[in-house]
Amino acid sequence: MIPEYLIRAILASIMVSVLLGMLSPLINTKGLAFLTHAIFHSLLFGAVLGMILGLLFENMGLVMLVALIITVAIVLIIAQLEKVGFSPDSAVGIVASFVAGLTVLGFGVLYKVMATRPYFPLSQSIVSYLTGEIFLITLGDLSALVFGGAVLFFLMLFLYRDFLYLSFDPEGLESYGGNARAYLMVLYVLVGAIGALIVQTVGLITLQVVAVLPGAIALMVSSDVRKVLAVSLFLTLSVQLSSVVLAYFTDIPPSGLATIMLGVIYGVLLFRR
Amino acid sequence: MEAVTARNLTVTYEGKPAVEGITFTLNEGETLLLLGPNGAGKTTLLKTIACFHREYSGELRVFEREPCEARELIGYVPQSHSLNERVPLTALEVVAMGEVYKRGFFHFKLPPETLKKAEMALSFVGLGEVKDRLFRELSGGQKQRVLLARALMSDPKLLLLDEPLSALDPSARAEVTNVLNKIKREREVTMIITTHDINPLLEIGDLVMLINKRLIAFGKPEDVLRDEVIKSVYGPLAKVIPVEKRLYCITGDFHIHTHGGGGR
Repeated sequence: MIPEYLIRAILASIMVSVLLGMLSPLINTKGLAFLTHAIFHSLLFGAVLGMILGLLFENMGLVMLVALIITVAIVLIIAQLEKVGFSPDSAVGIVASFVAGLTVLGFGVLYKVMATRPYFPLSQSIVSYLTGEIFLITLGDLSALVFGGAVLFFLMLFLYRDFLYLSFDPEGLESYGGNARAYLMVLYVLVGAIGALIVQTVGLITLQVVAVLPGAIALMVSSDVRKVLAVSLFLTLSVQLSSVVLAYFTDIPPSGLATIMLGVIYGVLLFRR
Repeated sequence: MEAVTARNLTVTYEGKPAVEGITFTLNEGETLLLLGPNGAGKTTLLKTIACFHREYSGELRVFEREPCEARELIGYVPQSHSLNERVPLTALEVVAMGEVYKRGFFHFKLPPETLKKAEMALSFVGLGEVKDRLFRELSGGQKQRVLLARALMSDPKLLLLDEPLSALDPSARAEVTNVLNKIKREREVTMIITTHDINPLLEIGDLVMLINKRLIAFGKPEDVLRDEVIKSVYGPLAKVIPVEKRLYCITGDFHIHTHGGGGR
């Protein structure tokens, strides 16, 4: 008999794999690794803020919601800075430094709030944000992941070609009647929203690696869009599922296993080149 | 009809002028060769006409409209090396890009009529057989022709080409020049072409503009391509040589290409 928590973990892995498998080639082709790093760190700031509010209002459901809102807001600030003339890297650098500082300040406030209230559920939440804890995912979490993930998946699917054109030639897209800025904003928001949705299952520490490496590997081994997507999806799916199964038998956190597996595959491919 | 009119046009970047006091008129169907050394403002001027850059003073009209209001009339061909070739797009997909943005926000599937038109555009530039090949796997000349086909997809009245011959070998230059000739003959499109090497394009150029931040000369090739004008921009070693009723410019930026493919 398969334990229910393992079934939930496997279902969550499938959803996470589909989202990351689709997103990862876009992160690579558009060169968003640095932005992704900043976005995922803003998730931590959002989560800390959510934890403070969750403790104050005794509602831990606020953590994910606040993390999502903060991340999207930060994405929009980065896009606005780019609009007024900052290069993408400068915009990310400016925002990331503020976010890092605010996160540390946020932790200071969080500890003070924790000292005044019972915080047992929170310690689990903090750990799952940092390292990912797919086996602790509840039915409610899974429902949110599947429903939210489906919305993001279809949005990404229907705009996939536009994102490729945006990566290829944003000026060309603009000159032939497209709105490059709107597509860029949607892409940034997608990165942030997907990060917010899966961070508790994947973990902030490993999130960037599992978001970047599958696409990087797929682009190394294939050049056709469909094959790149197929390789990226197959890779995330097989790595996520096998890490869950391995973690079940070894008690090692699955996100750590997934990251190491991806790192090994990427390293071997680079070495063979 | 006047295709492009500029009067005392000054284009600025962060308040600093990149191009100053340009005045010219280009009529419909004419081809203008825009010549100047590195940093002269050729691409800046082109991008301002294409509405990519909007920081300017003076008057600029494209088919009697503001540049941004005339966007659907303009086809812009960038330098192929400015594109992100890591994106795995086929030649056909790149060409289709020229039309899909006329409709809707989502373009998951390319409409059959767009694909058909893209195939015809590729055939027009002589690349029907490479439609399914990846853009990045094409030669420099083929990439430039694919970008020309993409620009033609929107049936533009004004074609803006940024250094279409740069980084191409002589045979690829000839391929691209032939296609430009064909576009001029069969499509009657107004064209502005920036270039370092004016010699291969002189056959299709009705007008030549020489700029170096400011307008140095504008007019018919035989009026602009004179020793004293060229020397004023490119220095004392630059010269214009007439050979069998043709003019050849030697500016130091480029060489004369012989039919054998060599340069001197």
